[in-house]
Amino acid sequence: MTPLVAAMLLLTAIAGTLVVLAREPLGQVFALAANGLVLALLFAVLQAPDVALSEIAVGAAILPLLFLVALAAIAVERAKK
Amino acid sequence: MSEGARRVLLALALAVLAVAAWRVAGALPMFGSATPYGQAVNALIPDARGVSNMVAAVNFDVRGIDTVGEEAMLVAAIVGAVVLLRGSRGEGTTDRAVRVPGRALEPRADATALVCRIGAVVTLVFGLYMALHGTVTPGGGFQGGAVVASGLLLVYLGDGYPPWRRLVPGPLFGVVEAGGALAFVAAALWPLAHGDAALANRLRPGEWKDLYSGGLMVVSNLAVAAAVAGSFALLLLEVMEETREVQSGEDDAAEEPPQ
Repeated sequence: MTPLVAAMLLLTAIAGTLVVLAREPLGQVFALAANGLVLALLFAVLQAPDVALSEIAVGAAILPLLFLVALAAIAVERAKK
Repeated sequence: MSEGARRVLLALALAVLAVAAWRVAGALPMFGSATPYGQAVNALIPDARGVSNMVAAVNFDVRGIDTVGEEAMLVAAIVGAVVLLRGSRGEGTTDRAVRVPGRALEPRADATALVCRIGAVVTLVFGLYMALHGTVTPGGGFQGGAVVASGLLLVYLGDGYPPWRRLVPGPLFGVVEAGGALAFVAAALWPLAHGDAALANRLRPGEWKDLYSGGLMVVSNLAVAAAVAGSFALLLLEVMEETREVQSGEDDAAEEPPQ
């Protein structure tokens, strides 16, 4: 295991912990997106560019957007009442 | 069950799980070590299929029929999500986004729109490049399709809801999704008609490192690219519709309790 891989594994653990520790829904979404980005970097460092490309598109762009839309829909519903 | 019994059960289950996990982890190959399957693919595929992206070769040839199943799962999941979302909302569309009352609406800076428009074009071209070179360089149909669809988000980010709604044609992406899935299944069934196994590579493999190398893999790769781009675009469109302004009489029916 090279120092770079070890550093990326440590960063992944930190990013995952931050997702769990985030309490605000909006903060959780951005922590999740950051975690997706870190995971993509880890896959790239582990020489799996195919997986990294999937992860960056799905984990850092599409999935956070679905959560953001859900939060927006909840905010609109609450404002109506 | 009492709380004490539950705790005992939990402790027992954790103990069994810990032993099992320890045994499995000990039997795994060392971190980063080469496995015989990977070595075999690396040694055989370049000559047998003329492909230089081994991941694509595994996905579309070595275990091709698994990928057909995965693709069917993705398409089924997207269709289910779209049916659920449209079920409470109907099929009508509008290009007006809903506003949370009392929240200030900051106009976008010109720089934001410019960066997003340039970024959208670059992302689209990069996604197409990745999908087309699926059998040659890292990436492939799934990655290329997902990148193309996520590039569409930049249109929304830069220009807002109305231009996004006008620019992204929903029915077109539905056709692209279904067409891609259909083409993949047809590519899987075609060898069966000739008495071969499903997805058997009956086409010429072509030159190693050439854009059109891989035979039938070129077809299934492009089919997956279309299916994935269509799927994700349709999903983003339908989910984003949740934030549009509801037209009169549209949502009232859904609010009534079921009979």
